Amino acid sequence: MSKMDLKHVAELSRIKLSKEELEKFTPQMEQILESVKVLTEVDTKGVEPMKNHLPFSELREDIAENGMSKEDVLSNVKHIENGKVKVYGKVFGGIEES
Amino acid sequence: MDKYDVIIGLEIHVQTKTNSKMFCTCNSNYFKDEPNTHVCPVCFGLPGALPVPNKRAIEKCILLGLATNCDIDNEIHFDRKHYFYPDLPKGYQISQYGRPICSDGYVMVNGDTKIEIERIHQEEDVAKSTHHKEGGLDYSLIDYNKSGVALIEIVTKPCIRSAHHAKEYATKIRQICRYLDISDADMEKGQMRCEPNISLQEKGKWKQEGSRILPIGDYKLNSKVEVKNIGSITAVEKSIEYEIERIIEELEKGNTIEQQTRGWNADKNITEFQRSKETADDYRYMPEPDIPVIDISEKDVERISKELVELPDDKAKRYLETFELSEYDIGVLTAKKEISEYFEKVVELLSKNITDIKEAAKLSSNWITGTLFSISNEMGLEISEENIQIEDLVALIKEFKEKTITKNKAEELLKKALEEKKDLGNLLDDFKKTKEESSGNLEDTVTAVLDENKQAVEDFKNGKQASLGFLIGQTMQKTKGSANPNDVKNILLKKLNE
Repeated sequence: MSKMDLKHVAELSRIKLSKEELEKFTPQMEQILESVKVLTEVDTKGVEPMKNHLPFSELREDIAENGMSKEDVLSNVKHIENGKVKVYGKVFGGIEES
Repeated sequence: MDKYDVIIGLEIHVQTKTNSKMFCTCNSNYFKDEPNTHVCPVCFGLPGALPVPNKRAIEKCILLGLATNCDIDNEIHFDRKHYFYPDLPKGYQISQYGRPICSDGYVMVNGDTKIEIERIHQEEDVAKSTHHKEGGLDYSLIDYNKSGVALIEIVTKPCIRSAHHAKEYATKIRQICRYLDISDADMEKGQMRCEPNISLQEKGKWKQEGSRILPIGDYKLNSKVEVKNIGSITAVEKSIEYEIERIIEELEKGNTIEQQTRGWNADKNITEFQRSKETADDYRYMPEPDIPVIDISEKDVERISKELVELPDDKAKRYLETFELSEYDIGVLTAKKEISEYFEKVVELLSKNITDIKEAAKLSSNWITGTLFSISNEMGLEISEENIQIEDLVALIKEFKEKTITKNKAEELLKKALEEKKDLGNLLDDFKKTKEESSGNLEDTVTAVLDENKQAVEDFKNGKQASLGFLIGQTMQKTKGSANPNDVKNILLKKLNE
């Protein structure tokens, strides 16, 4: 893993890394990836991914219930305005992602 | 324009009409409700909360796939799409990546243009955020009511070649969603969102392979531009038209088109730069470990397919074959399922008297798309059996057909029924009663009118034709409009020439 890769991954998670931190973490990350790499050496040819299966009929029925109270929802929120969660900082250009 | 081909792909998001959200039991009908009152640990992204898929939402997604000729997968796999943004509290959206539920479908627009659908998948909506500024400080306000509402994404191949076809396609998808009650798909309420991506390439220098556009030879493809913030079907067409013009202008100046996202400004009728997309989005998709693979059997699909109703295209074909109505009338009558159902009920009842089904259909269509619509549009209301009962409208059409009521009088009654919220049947009864009472003595009424308007009679006899109109008017007034103007005219002429 290069310094650029680490910087990219950090940016995606909105984490700021200083030059020193990049120097320090890059070899550590490399070591972690090296350890995990062992897994790719296992021959998985013909082995189905292990995942639980659920028949369609057993999915949740569409019945609405009350959620949390507004007070509970907002109890851990630092900044509130008109019952909405207030977040400081610029988020890219007013685009709603979905 | 002759130099370039327009290449458009359209992404449409539709909020599914369900009682509860996609992965939790919070009420998904939040419109106009207080912010952050439809929230639970799941849709608020609290640690440890487990998503549980909504069966009805997936049924509706499959239904849309069936209605758009898609293949339906036999397994449902959910994936996590990661990005950091305040409207997404978990840090990822549960969506589908490798295996969408529905794939390889199509719809027809403008009769014979096939719009290919690459995939339809199930995901969840994000929270509603608005952006503000305060003393030079940027901030956003977030309401999590919308977070986790079931959302269907429909993606076309880059096969749309004009702004008009894009609009027709979006209209068709909205129509299908409404016919099948998958969604109300109201764009103004954000229940349906359209995001076109547009690029212009020189003619003969590119080719389409599946969902990819490839250059021919050493031609360098122009980047595509994505447009967001489109709030209406009309804006789909307008924003694309604007973008095409803008891109041509740039290319003609010799500029390169930067890959970017632009926002439609409906007030100024322009698109505005929002952000450049120099790097490919990096969502680090991974299988959603909290949701098992869901098996769908053929029986499940068969059961869901029973919910398919006759769709607009099939309905239009039937109207053309059985009723021989004009293309325009058919378009208006099939635009909404409720209207087509209303129309068909009127035709059915009317055809008990008028055996020629085409004539019955033509009359019904004329009264519904003409008179009834012009009044209801003016008043901004929808025609339904609640405001005009089928049997009353049929009775009115019958009276008109038998020439026992004039078009004007019939329109007046319809208007009165709608405007004053009166029962059309009662109004028609009253009209007939007044008419019966006065018909016996229509001759007497005419005599009285002639007596009262000696000057007009004199004028007529001296050759002033306009006086006849005046005398007809006077007689009509006396009969409160119930008499047939033709009868009145005949009696008047008879008496005047005596």
